[in-house]
Amino acid sequence: MQWKLSEEQEAYQKTFRGWLADVAPSDRVRRWLDAGDASAFESRFIADGWAGVGLTEKLGGQGGGLVELALTAEELARAAAPSASWLATVLAVTALAGHPKLVEAALAGETVSLLVPAEAVPDRAPSLSVDAEGMVTGTAARVLAGDIATRFVVPVGAGGVRELRLVEAAAPGVSRTARRLLDRSRSVADVTLHQVPSVRLDVDAVDVLWQASAMAAVLVAADSLGATERVLDLAVEYSKQRHQFGFPIGSFQAVKHAAAAILVSVEAARSVVYFAAASVDGGAPQALLHAAAVKAQVTADGVRGADSALTIHGAIGYTWEHDLHLFFKRAKLDERLFGAPVVWNERIAEGLALI
Amino acid sequence: MDFALTEDQETIRKAVRELAAKFDDQYWMEKDAAHEFPTEFYKAFADGGWLGITTPEEYGGHGFGITEASLLLEEVAASGAGMNGASSMHLSIFGMHPVIVHGSQEMKRENLPRIVSGDLHVCFGVTEPGAGLDTTRITTFARRDGSDYVVNGRKVWISKAVESEKVLLLTRTAKFEDSPKKTDGLTLFFTDLDRDHVDIRPIRKMGRNAVTSNELFIDDLRIPAEHRVGEEGKGFTYILDGLNPERMLVAAEALGIGRAALRLAVRYGNEREVFGRPIGMNQGLQFPLADSLARLDGAELVLRKATWLYDHGKPCAREANTAKYLCADAGFQAADRALQTHGGMGYSEEYHVSRYFREARLTRIAPLSQEMVLNFLGEHVLGLPRSY
Ligand SMILES: Cc1cc2nc3c(=O)[nH]c(=O)nc-3n(C[C@H](O)[C@H](O)[C@H](O)COP(=O)(O)OP(=O)(O)OC[C@H]3O[C@@H](n4cnc5c(N)ncnc54)[C@H](O)[C@@H]3O)c2cc1C
Repeated sequence: MQWKLSEEQEAYQKTFRGWLADVAPSDRVRRWLDAGDASAFESRFIADGWAGVGLTEKLGGQGGGLVELALTAEELARAAAPSASWLATVLAVTALAGHPKLVEAALAGETVSLLVPAEAVPDRAPSLSVDAEGMVTGTAARVLAGDIATRFVVPVGAGGVRELRLVEAAAPGVSRTARRLLDRSRSVADVTLHQVPSVRLDVDAVDVLWQASAMAAVLVAADSLGATERVLDLAVEYSKQRHQFGFPIGSFQAVKHAAAAILVSVEAARSVVYFAAASVDGGAPQALLHAAAVKAQVTADGVRGADSALTIHGAIGYTWEHDLHLFFKRAKLDERLFGAPVVWNERIAEGLALI
Repeated sequence: MDFALTEDQETIRKAVRELAAKFDDQYWMEKDAAHEFPTEFYKAFADGGWLGITTPEEYGGHGFGITEASLLLEEVAASGAGMNGASSMHLSIFGMHPVIVHGSQEMKRENLPRIVSGDLHVCFGVTEPGAGLDTTRITTFARRDGSDYVVNGRKVWISKAVESEKVLLLTRTAKFEDSPKKTDGLTLFFTDLDRDHVDIRPIRKMGRNAVTSNELFIDDLRIPAEHRVGEEGKGFTYILDGLNPERMLVAAEALGIGRAALRLAVRYGNEREVFGRPIGMNQGLQFPLADSLARLDGAELVLRKATWLYDHGKPCAREANTAKYLCADAGFQAADRALQTHGGMGYSEEYHVSRYFREARLTRIAPLSQEMVLNFLGEHVLGLPRSY
C-alpha cells in the first residue's frame, strides 16, 4: 500500500499551482467573478493545456485519472478560480466516448454539461422525456455551467430504458435562464427543452451516470478541501498579524485551537479524498460508498472550517475587501453541489444493513 | 416578572445545603463503592422532615409545590450526593402523587405519614424487559380473583426495590390486544413487595450504585383490591399526571450534579499547576467550564419557569420537557468537562468527578430519554406528524 502521490502527480500539482498563482491572483479572480464572465480564464486554462489532464488517452485526454482531476479541483478551489465549465465537462465527457470530435471540441472549450440540477446526485436526478423522433422535452433547474454550455448530455427515460442523448444548446427549442449563486466562481442556469432534436449516445447510461455521481462526489470534496486549506492559511496568517490586548490573537488558546481543529479536518480530508479518488478509479466494489463518505464528511467539515476561520478573522472577515468570503462561499456551495451531506449519508445508510 | 425565590424557598435551599453538606464526597464514594444504601443520609433527611416536602399537611407533610421539591433535590445532588442521594429519596418526594390524587382515604392515611417519617421505603414498577419507553406495551398481568388480584410478570430496572417495603406497580388488567385504546386496561397498585412472590435481583450497573436497580420476577403475587389506586383500567392516566413533575425533578437532579462537577473542576483548575501556572489559566480548559456555567444557568431558568407554571396550575409540558432535556445535557457535559479538567486524576474514584460523570449520564436515559423529549416537542409543540 502506498499512501502518497506519485512524483508525476506531485510535479503536476506544483506546476499547476504555480500557473494559477501567475494567471489567477485574487485581484484578477475578483474581476472575473464581479463581471460574471470567466471566459478569459477558461480560454487561458485550455490554451495552456490543462483541460485534458486526468482524462484517459483513449477518450481523447492526456492520461491520468480521478486523482489528477482531484488535484485540479483542489488547486482551482485554492485560487477560488472559476471552474463550472471544467467540472461540468469532466463529469459529462465520458458520455461522449466513441465521438472523438465531440470530445476534442469539449476539451477545446465547447463546454458540455449533464442536464441535471446541480444540487442533485446525477444518477438520481429526474429524466426528461423523448418522443419517437428523438425530440426531447423537459426542464432541469440549476444546471451546472448551464449558462455557458455548448452541448448538453440529457438523461431520458427511466429505469432499464434510461438513455443519454446529446442536445445542442443552440438548437431551436432550448431556453436557458442564468441563476445567480452566492458563490460566483461557479455558475448555473435553468434549462428548458421543448421538442429539441437529439442524438442518442451509444453508452451505458446507468454506468455513465453512476460514474459521474462518484466523480462528482470526489471532485466537489476535493474542491472543499482546497477551499478549507485556504481559509486555514488566511486565518493563521491573520491571527499572527492582528494584535489585541498587547498580543497577537493567535496566542490566545481558543483561537489557536480553532485553527488546529481546521488543520485536523484538512488532514483528514486529504487522506480520504485521495483514497476515494483511487477507489473510484480502480472500480473498487465499495467505491460509491467511499465517494459518499467523502462527499458527506469533507464538505460538511469544509463549511465548519470556513465558519471557524470567519470567527478568527472577526469583523474583517465579513468585509468584501477581504478574500476570505471567496473561500467561505466556495465551501458553502461545495456542501450542496451534487448532493448535500444528508443525501450522501442516506446513500451510505442504504449500503448498510439497517432497516 | 419576578425572578426571585420566595423567603421560604431561600430558607429551604439554605437548610438543605447545610444538611447535605454533612455528608461529604468521601461518604458518597464509600457508599457507591460498597453498593450500600445511604441510610444515615436518608435518616437525616427524614428526621429533618424533608421527605414530606410535597405531601399534604393533613398527612404530616408540608404541602409545598414542585418548585420547593426541585430546589431540595437540586441541592441534594449539588452537594455531591448526586443521583445516589437524590434517588434514595426521589420517590418519597413526589412518587406518591398518584396515591395522593387517586388513592383511597385509607390508603393515604395508612401510608403517607410513614413516607414522611422515612419509615416506609417505596419503589416504582413500570419498566419491563419488553416495554421501556413504550409503556402501554407492558404485559405484567393482574387477574381478578374474588376480592383480590393475582399478578404475574416481570419488571426491570426497578430502583430501590431491594430496600423497599412497598411498590407502586403498573399492571395490565386487560391485554393490549383486548383494549379499545392502547392506554386502556392498565391498572395501578400500591402494595407490599412480598418477597415470597417477588424475586428481586439487583442489576449490575455503571453507576449510582448506592441505590439498587432491580429485576423483579413476580409470581402469583396476591394483591387485595383495596391496594388498587383509583379505578381499574385507568392506571395510565394516573401516571400521566405525574410525568411533568417527574421530568422537572430529574432536571433538577441533573442540574445539581452539573453544579457539583463544575465546582470541583474550578477548584482543580485553580489548584493544579502545570507548566508553571494553574491549568485554569488555559483557555482550552477555562472556556469549556465557562460554557458549561452558561448552559447550566440557561437550563436552570427553564426549569424554574416550568416548576412555577406547574405550581400555578398552568400548562407546563413544553417547559418541563425542555428543562429535562437542557438540564440533562448541560449536567452531563459539565461532568464530562470536569473529568477532562482533572486529567488522569479525573479517572480515579478519589477525585469524585468520575462518579458524577457516571451518574449524570443516567439523566439522559431515564426516566425518559432525550429522544422522547424531542418526540414530544416535535409532535405536540411544533405540530409535526408523530414520527414513530
Ligand atoms: C439506573 C436506572 C434506574 C431506573 N429506575 C427505574 C425505576 O425505578 N422504575 C422504572 O419503572 N423504570 C426505571 N428505569 C427504567 C427507565 O425508565 C428506562 O430505562 C427508560 O424509560 C428507557 O427505556 P428502555 O431502557 O427500555 O429504552 P428503550 O425504550 O428500549 O429505548 C432504547 C433507545 O431507543 C430510543 N427510542 C425508543 N423509542 C423511540 C422513538 N419513538 N423515537 C426515537 N427514539 C426512540 C430511546 O431513546 C433509547 O435511546 C431505570 C433505568 C435505569 C438505567
